[in-house]
Amino acid sequence: MKKVAIVGAGQSRYGDFPDKGIKELFFEAYKDMKASVDKGLDPKAIESAYIGNLGSGGFQLGNMSALVTEYCGLTHINTMRIENACASGGYALVAAVMDVMSGTHKAVLAGGVEKMTDVSGVKQKYWLGVSGDTEYERLAGTTFSGLYALIAQRHMHDFGTKREHLSMVAVKNHKNGAQNPKAQFQREITLEQAIKGPIVASPLNLFDCCSTTDGASAVLVCDAEIAKQYTDTPVYVAGFGTASDFLAIHDRPDTTTLEGTRRAGEMAYKMSGLTPKDIQLAEVHDCFTIAELLAYEDLGFCEKGKAGPFIEQGHTQIGGDKPVNASGGLKSKGHPIGSTGTGMAYEMFNQLRGSVQKPTRQIKGAEIGLIHNVGGSGGTVAVTIMRR
Amino acid sequence: MYWRTIPQRYKMIGQKCKKCGAINFPPKGVCKYCQTSSEFEEIQLSGRGKVHTFVLISAGGAPPEFAEQEKAGGQYPVAIVQLEEGPKVIGQIADVDPKEVKIDMPVKAELRKIYTEEEVIRYGFKFVPG
Repeated sequence: MKKVAIVGAGQSRYGDFPDKGIKELFFEAYKDMKASVDKGLDPKAIESAYIGNLGSGGFQLGNMSALVTEYCGLTHINTMRIENACASGGYALVAAVMDVMSGTHKAVLAGGVEKMTDVSGVKQKYWLGVSGDTEYERLAGTTFSGLYALIAQRHMHDFGTKREHLSMVAVKNHKNGAQNPKAQFQREITLEQAIKGPIVASPLNLFDCCSTTDGASAVLVCDAEIAKQYTDTPVYVAGFGTASDFLAIHDRPDTTTLEGTRRAGEMAYKMSGLTPKDIQLAEVHDCFTIAELLAYEDLGFCEKGKAGPFIEQGHTQIGGDKPVNASGGLKSKGHPIGSTGTGMAYEMFNQLRGSVQKPTRQIKGAEIGLIHNVGGSGGTVAVTIMRR
Repeated sequence: MYWRTIPQRYKMIGQKCKKCGAINFPPKGVCKYCQTSSEFEEIQLSGRGKVHTFVLISAGGAPPEFAEQEKAGGQYPVAIVQLEEGPKVIGQIADVDPKEVKIDMPVKAELRKIYTEEEVIRYGFKFVPG
């Protein structure tokens, strides 16, 4: 099988952009990707494109990948929309990697886009709360804040995880996001603010939850044999893993483990010949603060049940031995559903090449990084390990 | 979509796997425990169990069809309940001060109004203390 490299990556600003639709947002990310290719990119080289998208509120459910790629001038190529809820982008990247590995295409675009602020708040909730086991979880009166709160409550009960531990995730990620010019919320918050946020789904408050976001991202994946045509400093795909789980949390034997993450991580470690210890930095799926703590455990960064003390000891902040979400994460950078996975790849590409926009959040000398993208409350998970 | 799950919502009918004997609820095509058998016998669950974990849904956390309920009470509890026959299932807890809900609290299922949509009242099980 072919070795795979990433030679370009771009991202739109994340935020609330009433004047831009999915085409314009995706084009912004595409142009940014194109500009990042050191030795230039002839768009005719792109043979195939996989676009992550949950549905953008339902207004372009059919043929959206052809729509956004033809807008960029990529007419007539192989393209498809990839939908696995919030993990759509992570799976779009994996689909592009498998396309290149198989030898079918040499240069493939992986991207994602979501437009979440075009519909009313009520419609948005109808649209968003349907990626769990809808017949049971939704019809018991929960959306995703409620589902992650069920996990958080049990994690606190079983392992003594504290309210403060959840808030430390929010504080850290806002601190990082304040240094990211493309983040939705470029401001720091205090631990006290984070602890005292208005309750959304107890034990989770407003500062435990990510926002709704417009945004897009795109990365160029290619056969490693031709990577040097594009740049002298490609980033290589060392391994990837994807796994699914029972959609309903009540069906899972262990409420506080995302088995999809555990298995996807295991597969990525095995394929790359690496272990959790080798990972120098990570972008993980912090849609809710508890989700980042679960990721530490399920990806093997710390022991099961020890995520609270792990963040408290500072391991995962910039300057720690395992920085997590230097971009600001979903919490502060924003979570435009379909774009989130390839947005993580954009961040990791720049971190590993030392080209992060603001040097204050550059992890110096990092060679190996992991990105982790979760669909729903863990129904689908994609993990990719990248190395310089 | 709601009416398809009426045997579960009104009567809590579970599936006992003829191969491994474990009880699936809500139903599956293939037993979620042994993952080999599709042969089940229907069994009536008691509706009794204890709270495995719970959440108190406040403003912002409620789906639009439950927003009215949230406004009326300020918050409402939703739990995953471990049923005495083995399976866990999600459901609301009624007739309780939300502050009193605790993990391991004993509960039993009752038929209640769940929500109203397009002027049709949907009924199903909720849990109450006891």
